[in-house]
Amino acid sequence: MEQPPELTVDLPRVWDRPVVTVPVLACLSLVGGQLPSFSAQANLWTLGTGGALVWLGLGNRVPRRPAPRRLGRGAVWWVLPAAVFGVFEAATFVVSAGSEFPTFSRLADPLLADELVRSAAWFGWLAAFWGLVRR
Amino acid sequence: MMRTLAIAGFLAALLLFAAVEWAARRPGSRVPSLGDVCAYVMRYEVGPVPVGRIGVFGFWWWLGWHFLAR
Repeated sequence: MEQPPELTVDLPRVWDRPVVTVPVLACLSLVGGQLPSFSAQANLWTLGTGGALVWLGLGNRVPRRPAPRRLGRGAVWWVLPAAVFGVFEAATFVVSAGSEFPTFSRLADPLLADELVRSAAWFGWLAAFWGLVRR
Repeated sequence: MMRTLAIAGFLAALLLFAAVEWAARRPGSRVPSLGDVCAYVMRYEVGPVPVGRIGVFGFWWWLGWHFLAR
């Protein structure tokens, strides 16, 4: 028998809890951290994990937190860090001076060569992606 | 010299991101968190097409591929 809507409660799914999602993301990150740059495996792992999250995020398979209907004027503060980053990224990209005036990617490359740092970056990327899927 | 300038600029940008997020999480803050900004952008739709979600997911997917696979 169908219940009236006021009597039904959306129970959180068993898998939709940090105790489940964090270890899953950590395992995916540890695998990703072992894969070297420019390898077919790294490309496939990035495309596969990202594709799965896009698939989850574009469907109604995962419960979402309510989004704000409007942003206050305080949202303008986000322009400041974005502008500083954008100016430096654009300048380093246009000048193309290599290591003399490196882009953010070129600065990050030697850091990401370390497997532990790479795994941590993987975890940050996947955790943020999961957060976006839930919004 | 130019290398130091680039590193300082990117570090300043990252610190500013962290500072604005910290300000947003204070009780009673008028600054929305980065998650709220993203959620607001992702609300944008053109007809039945969730353009905002596709754009944000696409950007984040590309970013991961760029840094972690290339």
